[in-house]
Amino acid sequence: MTLRLVPRSPLVRYLLVRLALIVPTVLILVTVVFFFMRVIGDPITASQGGRLSAAQLAVRKAAAGFDRPILQQYGDYLGGLVRGDFGTALTDHRAIREVLVTNGAATLELAAWALLIAFLVGVPLGRLAARYRDRLPDVSIRIFAVLVYAAPVFFVGLLLKLLFSATLGWLPASGRASASVEIALNNVAPKTNIMIIDAILYGDPAYIGDVLQHAILPALALGLLTAGVFIRLIRINLLETMRTDYVIAARARGVSERLVVRQHAFRNALVPVVTVMGMQIAMMLGGAILTETTFEWQGLGYVLSRYLLARDFVAVQGIVTAIAVVVAVSSFLIDVINALVDPRVRY
Amino acid sequence: MKRSTHRLAGAVAIAAVAALALTACGAGRTDSGATSGSSGSGGKTLLVGTTDKVTAIDPAGSYDNGSFNVETQVFPFLMSFKPGGAELAPDAAKSCEYTSGTVYTCVLRDGLKFANGNPINASTVKFSFDRQVAIADANGPSSLLTNLDSVAAVDAKTVAFTLKSANDQTFAQVLASPAGPIVDEKSFQADKLLDDNAIVAAKAFAGPYTISSYKKNELVVFAKNADYTGLQGAAKNNGVTLKYYASSNNLKLDIAGGQIDVATRSMTPTDIESLKTTKGVSVVTGPGGEIRYVVFNLNTMPGNTPEQKLAVRKAFAYSIDRQEIATQVYKDTYTPLYSYVPKGLPGAATPFKDIYGTKPDVAAATKVLADAGVTTPVALNLQYNPDHYGPSSDQEYNAVKRQLEATGLFAVQLQSTEWVTYTKERTADAYPAYQLGWFPDFSDADNYLTPFFDAGNFLGNHFENPEIIALLASERTDPNPDSRAATIKKIQTEIATKYLSTVPLLQGSQVAVARDGVVGVKDTLNSSFQFRYAVLSKG
Repeated sequence: MTLRLVPRSPLVRYLLVRLALIVPTVLILVTVVFFFMRVIGDPITASQGGRLSAAQLAVRKAAAGFDRPILQQYGDYLGGLVRGDFGTALTDHRAIREVLVTNGAATLELAAWALLIAFLVGVPLGRLAARYRDRLPDVSIRIFAVLVYAAPVFFVGLLLKLLFSATLGWLPASGRASASVEIALNNVAPKTNIMIIDAILYGDPAYIGDVLQHAILPALALGLLTAGVFIRLIRINLLETMRTDYVIAARARGVSERLVVRQHAFRNALVPVVTVMGMQIAMMLGGAILTETTFEWQGLGYVLSRYLLARDFVAVQGIVTAIAVVVAVSSFLIDVINALVDPRVRY
Repeated sequence: MKRSTHRLAGAVAIAAVAALALTACGAGRTDSGATSGSSGSGGKTLLVGTTDKVTAIDPAGSYDNGSFNVETQVFPFLMSFKPGGAELAPDAAKSCEYTSGTVYTCVLRDGLKFANGNPINASTVKFSFDRQVAIADANGPSSLLTNLDSVAAVDAKTVAFTLKSANDQTFAQVLASPAGPIVDEKSFQADKLLDDNAIVAAKAFAGPYTISSYKKNELVVFAKNADYTGLQGAAKNNGVTLKYYASSNNLKLDIAGGQIDVATRSMTPTDIESLKTTKGVSVVTGPGGEIRYVVFNLNTMPGNTPEQKLAVRKAFAYSIDRQEIATQVYKDTYTPLYSYVPKGLPGAATPFKDIYGTKPDVAAATKVLADAGVTTPVALNLQYNPDHYGPSSDQEYNAVKRQLEATGLFAVQLQSTEWVTYTKERTADAYPAYQLGWFPDFSDADNYLTPFFDAGNFLGNHFENPEIIALLASERTDPNPDSRAATIKKIQTEIATKYLSTVPLLQGSQVAVARDGVVGVKDTLNSSFQFRYAVLSKG
């Protein structure tokens, strides 16, 4: 009797390989970030370099343990990660785990709003563009898609803020809620740190409205970026699907064009969107850094940029590791979905 | 399947409509709610915005403006500044004085206690200062206590500080500095920092305010402390909510739009300029403690002899137009600095104005270089940093380069380096001349002199002069304010005339923007350099 180490099922084998790849992917990223952050400086020099002598700085760095051998620091850090200890930020003494939970929830909320915008804008427009191929609606929508995809997210954010907040005064320029709402929601129990859920738990419709109001501009800035991708993807897939045999057959049977699109073509055209969504998560997290900073949305991107400026390597490492894990796990889940939906993937 | 899809679409549509409806409802209700909430309770609470950041509210773990701003509102100090001014006076102490050359003794007022009921006595004070020294956190202010030898609780209300050097005239200032907050012995540990949330939960406060809600670097709610009877008096408002911003632009938009009542630290000169013409707000300025200056490395700067190097520095001083830089680059949010000690502090003088004038003097600069045999144009490598002293550093140093080259006496090579590398290279003799800025540890003229010109100064630019070192020691220990101020002026004149190891450029103003109806801002923008919420009120 021999021990079977390689699973017989191609699906299981495929998924195990994908799962195993997560560890080296994250490890490589953690290592690169660890050594890169040591090269660009330390938080003590960053904060006190303009008022302490070189000798005084050296004493403080030694006291903080920054002068230990770099490999020893690296080993300690990896050991902490294995134990689930991300450490404590050097510059504001916050536990990184707490940062990931509270600020991570804000980023998750923003990403969810942005994804909603991407679907609400991208799917109907992509469908419309395919239906009116090479006509005015199609051309206009394609130009719109290229514009929102190509425009830097912070630029779109600034434009939205200038128009809807500074000029028209319709929407708030920054924050996740008004100060009074934020204070009230800070005391809600149980607290999820996802503002809209906390507002719903609090039960005041005005508070829910306030939170929604604050989410509109950041969600638009980040969501339009992804909407541009969705528009182009859905349009091209819908056009290709419309040329397939089964759609032609449906038409031949006298099925109306609207029904052909809705019943036969559109649903199949959505499949590649699932794949792209996996990649969009990474892109969205990148975009979130700029969006969050532009709109004072206190998510992971917002605090990451602050910690980076302060050379707080413990905080940066922790946040980047968490983001890497999220992206890697999301990619894995997309692979799982793809493999289940499309058998060609796993062979 | 089809029906379920339609049902889902319908649900999404209904949710979207509901959301929009709620948004529409909320647009009026909560926005005004936020404003009136912040200024609710009879319009007496205030919403303040800032771009400062908190490192820690544990006084042993922070040494930055953002943290100290919170600490000054909630912790008691033995010494503090009288409301509306910069005069130092006993606060938690009834009296503080030198009882011998090296012993500074403070007697506490009666009935002092923290918001949690724990008493404040001599033991508490001893605990607070011993703790600062014991923890000596890398981010903390323990370096301010280098002259402190020991602290003793003489009796329940008397505490004696034994100093290493006698008659230190800056020690009273240190008691009002980031090293000075008194913390609750029963809530804080003697050798370990306490987490911000734990401090809030312990209600370990005894300043004009306590903290009733705390989200670090997001939102802090200061509640009026009814038990506070110190120097600041009862707060003139019912409480303050402090909102933190990452971007000065968002801070500006919110003060202009009325979402906050007061905006302070920091906005760009352009934003401030724009707010000066915005309806409903007023821009208030006061003397600032921040200075900007050029450091010369006496070893590597141009010139073959010490005399030639001095001539180059003098020619530099003759060639600069500070007012032009202040106006064109900083829209007058900075003012020309003609001395080492900024305006507003005892001992401030104007030696650079008196000796080198306010406008470029090409003839004088030419003569001083010619007399020393310096070949012109002098090739000067001038370094600045673009990411630590504000985004306008680039324009500031381009203006300096332009002014120097306009004399025909200098050929300036301008270079910039990111901050961490900059701090390493400046002390490794890599830069012949470079930009630095300074914000004082405490509000005393000595803090603009000793760190820069004493033996082993932090600049590391190879300037050490026995005459100046002796004068510094003299002013630090002179108990007579008048003769001390005279010595401070003499030090500045001596350096400006004979050495110029640094050349001062600009003094920053404190700027706050207030909505109409907010009063008291002017009363806290003074040479204490502390923004006191207790003096603010709203009609």
